[in-house]
Amino acid sequence: MLELRDLHTFYGPIEALRGIDLEISQGEIVSLIGNNGAGKSTTLMTISGILKPQSGDILFEGESIRESAPHKIVRMGISQVPEGRRIFPKLTVRENLEMGSFSGRGDAASAFEMVFGLFPVLQERQNQFGGTLSGGEQQMLAIARALMCHPKLLLLDEPSLGLAPIIVSKIFKTIREINREGVTVLLVEQNARAALKLSRRGYVLENGQILLRGNGAELLNNNDVKKAYLGEQI
Amino acid sequence: MPGEIPPKQRFFCYNLSMFLQQLINGLTLGSVYALIALGYSMVYGILELINFAHGEIYMLGAYFGIIFFGLFTAVGLTAFSLPLALALTFVLSVIFCASYGFTIEKIAYKPLRNAPRLSPLISAIGVSIFLQNFVMLTQGATDKVFPPIFGTAGFRFLSVQMTYLQLSIIVVSVILMFCLRFFVRKTRMGKAMRAVAQDKVMASLVGVNIDTVISVTFLIGSGLAAIAGLMVAMYYGLVNYFIGYVAGIKAFTAAVLGGIGSIRGAMLGGILLGLVESLGGSYISSEYKDAYAFILLIIVLLVKPGGLFGKAELEKV
Ligand SMILES: Nc1ncnc2c1ncn2[C@@H]1O[C@H](COP(=O)(O)OP(=O)(O)OP(=O)(O)O)[C@@H](O)[C@H]1O
Ligand SMILES: [Mg+2]
Repeated sequence: MLELRDLHTFYGPIEALRGIDLEISQGEIVSLIGNNGAGKSTTLMTISGILKPQSGDILFEGESIRESAPHKIVRMGISQVPEGRRIFPKLTVRENLEMGSFSGRGDAASAFEMVFGLFPVLQERQNQFGGTLSGGEQQMLAIARALMCHPKLLLLDEPSLGLAPIIVSKIFKTIREINREGVTVLLVEQNARAALKLSRRGYVLENGQILLRGNGAELLNNNDVKKAYLGEQI
Repeated sequence: MPGEIPPKQRFFCYNLSMFLQQLINGLTLGSVYALIALGYSMVYGILELINFAHGEIYMLGAYFGIIFFGLFTAVGLTAFSLPLALALTFVLSVIFCASYGFTIEKIAYKPLRNAPRLSPLISAIGVSIFLQNFVMLTQGATDKVFPPIFGTAGFRFLSVQMTYLQLSIIVVSVILMFCLRFFVRKTRMGKAMRAVAQDKVMASLVGVNIDTVISVTFLIGSGLAAIAGLMVAMYYGLVNYFIGYVAGIKAFTAAVLGGIGSIRGAMLGGILLGLVESLGGSYISSEYKDAYAFILLIIVLLVKPGGLFGKAELEKV
């Protein structure tokens, strides 16, 4: 469904992605793990078209999207929950969700029904400003907003960051539910154990390059991964 | 300028009718400032750019008004139906000014979108100087006259005189401001505008075309400035190529006063400024009329650095 081919992305002179190859098939949950500064967010922003790669290609359903504008990429069905949630603070919860369906993919009424089903708290809070929600609620809103366009592929950037364990497990449960509904997921996480457990396959990113790839269980048992990302002593 | 009082009356006076009279003059002037201030504020909210050329759009609105109205008079449309001639004059001026605003953004600002912040500002000043000179060269350096179709017809209440033109200016401005408020709060494009003002990257990520939103912002801002310019041309009857400069600075002050980026702030800042000028001009001294705006600005900014309705810290977090 999505294929990154030898992707290189720069911030000015800094080469943040140094040749990324990555594939996601329809219906999968794939996780992308790596340390701070490895290039995970850069990868997602390049897929979404916010950053333009210097070289390499991005194929979505067989079509190159590397030259496409961000709003066109959303229209094709790639939706992102960015790092730090980026809720519109001065829009109400409902308006934040309406913005989620701005691209006009699918029908908004059924999307509202779906996200209120997943996160009933958002329905209670719908007339409150986004900026006044708690961190956990904001994360739910960010996910809900990304779902409003009935995406084919959902990009999630560290959805568990800064949340209490109970909320984290709820979020992960929801991601699995969303995936069961047929949405393909690319999950960026620091929380490697939870992410790898959830995913069929995973990639380990280091210094802008793919260091390791494999299925979730394989990576969980990999000694390098254990040492570097799971904090285990060997 | 309104607020200009015959010398005989220019003394410190608590007379109620004079106060009301100045209130009306101030409201008239203030609604015009507010209409122009909205353009500054909207553009700043979206691009963090002070569009120095905005005052020139207002000036162009006045000129287009005179040109089109003159044309309609020449072909006999004004004699046939004054309301129709006026309506067409408004519509055409708005369309022309909106196209100017749209084009200026595409030519002078868009290529500099990722440049250091000073560059588009300098570009804006360049556009402003260009438009002033363009109008001076094509229309002449002398005053142009808008025919006094309304004269001083009006009505009195409580011994206060209000012309129909003043009433129309206030009513039109209020209606436009309500329309804008509705547009920004309730429509799809209005919500996208607010989203872009708050977080451009996120707005793109939900599928907003940032370029479209920026263009719409310039179209609306310029259209409002055109109406302001045309109404002022009718009000004062005289127009020249540099009226955009002072009006622009005043309106910009109004926008900062209200909290730049805030639509409500621009409206109230404009009206407040008009009132202060008009009341200050009659009760204190009309010599310093232009200074009151800035004194008020300094006081407000000392107390509330973000302006009356400025962004609170909350939004920065
Ligand atoms: N706007 C920017 N300008 C310059 N360099 C940047 C910018 N954003 C990121 N970088 C650099 O690019 C590299 C990759 O950053 P990125 O944000 O993709 O990392 P990440 O894997 O998402 O890290 P984290 O887990 O901390 O979010 C880092 O070295 C970072 O310093
Ligand atoms: Mg990151």
